[in-house]
Amino acid sequence: MIAVDGSLKARLAVWLLVTVSGLGALLMLEAYFTTRRAAERAYDSQLEAAALTIAEAVQWQEGRPLVEVPAAALQILATRHQERVFYAVLDDAGRRISANLDLTIPAEARAAAAHAPLWRDLRHAGSGWRLHGREHDSAGWETQDPVQVWVGHTLSGRQALAGELFQRTVIRFLAMVLLAGLLMLLAMRVALTPMRRLRHLLRRREADDMRPLDARVPEELREMAETLDTLFARQRESRDALLRFTADASHQLKTPLAGLQSTSELALKSHQPDEWRRALEAVHAGTQRTSRLAGQLLSLARLRHVGDGGALEPLDLAALLRDTVLDWAGREVAADHDLGLAELPAAPVTVRGEPWALRELLGNLIDNALRYTPPGSEITLGLAMAGDGVELYIEDDGPGVPPEVRERLLRPFERGGRQDTRGSGLGLAIVDSIARRHDAHLRVSARQPHGLRVALHFPPAGKEGKDA
Amino acid sequence: MRDRLCRLLLASLLWLPLPGLAATPLVVEAALDREVVAPLLEAFAQAHPDIELIFRDRSTLEVDALIESADPAPDVVLSSAMPWQMDRVNQGYARRLDTPRAREWPAWAKWRDEVFGFTFEPIVMAYRLDLSRHMLPPATHADLHTLLTTERDTLRGKVTTYSPSRSGVGYTLFQQDARYTPRFWDLVAAMGDAEASLEANTRAMLQGLSEGRYWLGYNLLGSYAMVWAQQHPEVIVRVPQDYALVMMRMAFIHRDAPHPRAAETFLDFLLGREGQRVLAGQTPLFSVRPDVVGPYTAQRLRDQVGERLYPIPLNASLLAFVDPQRRAAFMARWRREFRRGD
Repeated sequence: MIAVDGSLKARLAVWLLVTVSGLGALLMLEAYFTTRRAAERAYDSQLEAAALTIAEAVQWQEGRPLVEVPAAALQILATRHQERVFYAVLDDAGRRISANLDLTIPAEARAAAAHAPLWRDLRHAGSGWRLHGREHDSAGWETQDPVQVWVGHTLSGRQALAGELFQRTVIRFLAMVLLAGLLMLLAMRVALTPMRRLRHLLRRREADDMRPLDARVPEELREMAETLDTLFARQRESRDALLRFTADASHQLKTPLAGLQSTSELALKSHQPDEWRRALEAVHAGTQRTSRLAGQLLSLARLRHVGDGGALEPLDLAALLRDTVLDWAGREVAADHDLGLAELPAAPVTVRGEPWALRELLGNLIDNALRYTPPGSEITLGLAMAGDGVELYIEDDGPGVPPEVRERLLRPFERGGRQDTRGSGLGLAIVDSIARRHDAHLRVSARQPHGLRVALHFPPAGKEGKDA
Repeated sequence: MRDRLCRLLLASLLWLPLPGLAATPLVVEAALDREVVAPLLEAFAQAHPDIELIFRDRSTLEVDALIESADPAPDVVLSSAMPWQMDRVNQGYARRLDTPRAREWPAWAKWRDEVFGFTFEPIVMAYRLDLSRHMLPPATHADLHTLLTTERDTLRGKVTTYSPSRSGVGYTLFQQDARYTPRFWDLVAAMGDAEASLEANTRAMLQGLSEGRYWLGYNLLGSYAMVWAQQHPEVIVRVPQDYALVMMRMAFIHRDAPHPRAAETFLDFLLGREGQRVLAGQTPLFSVRPDVVGPYTAQRLRDQVGERLYPIPLNASLLAFVDPQRRAAFMARWRREFRRGD
């Protein structure tokens, strides 16, 4: 089930928006203060120029400082924004020699300006002012007292300049964001092209085309492409296995059916009732074998392809084992063998499983052991606590299986390299399938000095079960 | 302050028996001859019958004092004393006029959109016809200086100009003259030698010329002199050929105007096409607007006199003229130069 969870573009856009607006807010804050500072600096230097021009005009006459305020200084002060202007020339004691507004300069500002040129914001008569004061050393013939020159103007020019600069910054920033957004869209289109290409490739594929992908993909998509490839490979294997199984099954069924056909044909040609009876018996035995084979094939197919059909339930493995072995020991086929149980733990051994499947598993194991060992062989089943799980095993003292064949034993129709028996070769394959259903691990090993040991390792009941 | 005025206004409105029919009063304190500006006032009264214009004609110094002391404050202040007007605006006594006409007004004729130069009056020399019988009348400042030196005895007592101490306009003109050339002081000294009479206004100088007391007048308001010369053929007006100063009358709305709406209407009218057309056609005050046609416009004056017109700049540099120390120094020098020959 595919649920659409937003779009990549929207996600990228949201992230871009969040980042840009966050950074943008910081940038704007910084720009606001920077532009204000820049405007301050530009206009402060005009204050300074005006103050210097006025200071230049200070002259001493008969022991008194005189200043003819230069018109140019006032124009510099007013700036092109036509600020209201203030100027004052103060003598050593803070008395006004010349001034144009009744704006009082605080005594501490005068004291500070005596040391170094000073800039100061001030409110006067309802409007903001920026003042600049500096001390001017002027020497006359009679007196050599310093004078202080103070100038000031209103703030509209500064505000206008700062506003203008700030506005320009904002416009530049917005243009940049817009451009970046457009480029981002373009980049997204370009970046998503490989995905689109892959989609087209997959859509164009035939249903039974299981070849690996032949596509150029970027690094980020490599994993997905590889996963797809793996999926294709597994599907291919699974399909091949199915085909092989079907072919093998057909082949296996063909042989006994051909036998039945020839037996019945021979019998039909004969007129001897004795021959008919022998032929009927042979047909009876043949159909029995064939039907068993068909049954096994069916259960294997069911195990393999029904998937996780039944529910696993806790059961006592020891009891199950005991019942099954006792049941088999009483059968005719086991008469020639020494089928027995090793000592079982006293307490119940609980695993999660399907009773019918486990009984089928045990039956196949015992049947196999009976078939592939010579009469008189000893077959022992038992349970062993191994690690945190439990191990169910069956061992015999028969001829065993060479190591190179042991690997293939679990495949269907494999008879351990022997064609002399009448088995179907499906037993261990069924065992393996059932073991997989129970998350149990099947291990085939040699038994010393000779013989075979097949062990099933079940995980502990508590932890086991995907659907527990 | 404004609140108090508003309350006052409200109270006065409540006292009126029929407030709806009463015209809004509008007080204009002006340093501008009522008879010269009468056509403009009539035109305004016709255009705005709902405003009752109270026009008070005073001297420049009186007007300046009233800006600070009048209670209630006047609505509109008009004056030709440019530096003083500028000083008051700088002190924050003006209210900004934010109308399309105010914004379109030429930048060289306004400051801060608070004060507007609404006339364009050339400063001229005037002489009596008697003078031309004795000598070639002066065409430039240098001519005048030469004449005063060479014909000192003939001209003794027959030259007149503004008194810088008694007239704000005269003081401003001399300050501006002195800014252009230091030879101005030679002219002052020459006038002192010729025992020039110092008058408080242009009208007195023109009167003296007509009566024959004076032969030659320096730095007269061209607006008044030109009209006078039309009615008095014995007086000839001459725009100096080297440079001619141009004075502007400046108008602003008082910060504490009791009737700001009416004041804005008046100033807007003054700057607008109609008001300027009246100025150009029916008064000798010369319109500033380039799109107004009439006998008295800045454009026509420029066409006649050429580019030698030097308007007194309407900017912060005017503030220097009212600086007490600078004024004292200037006056001291004036007196010194004027009495140089003594």
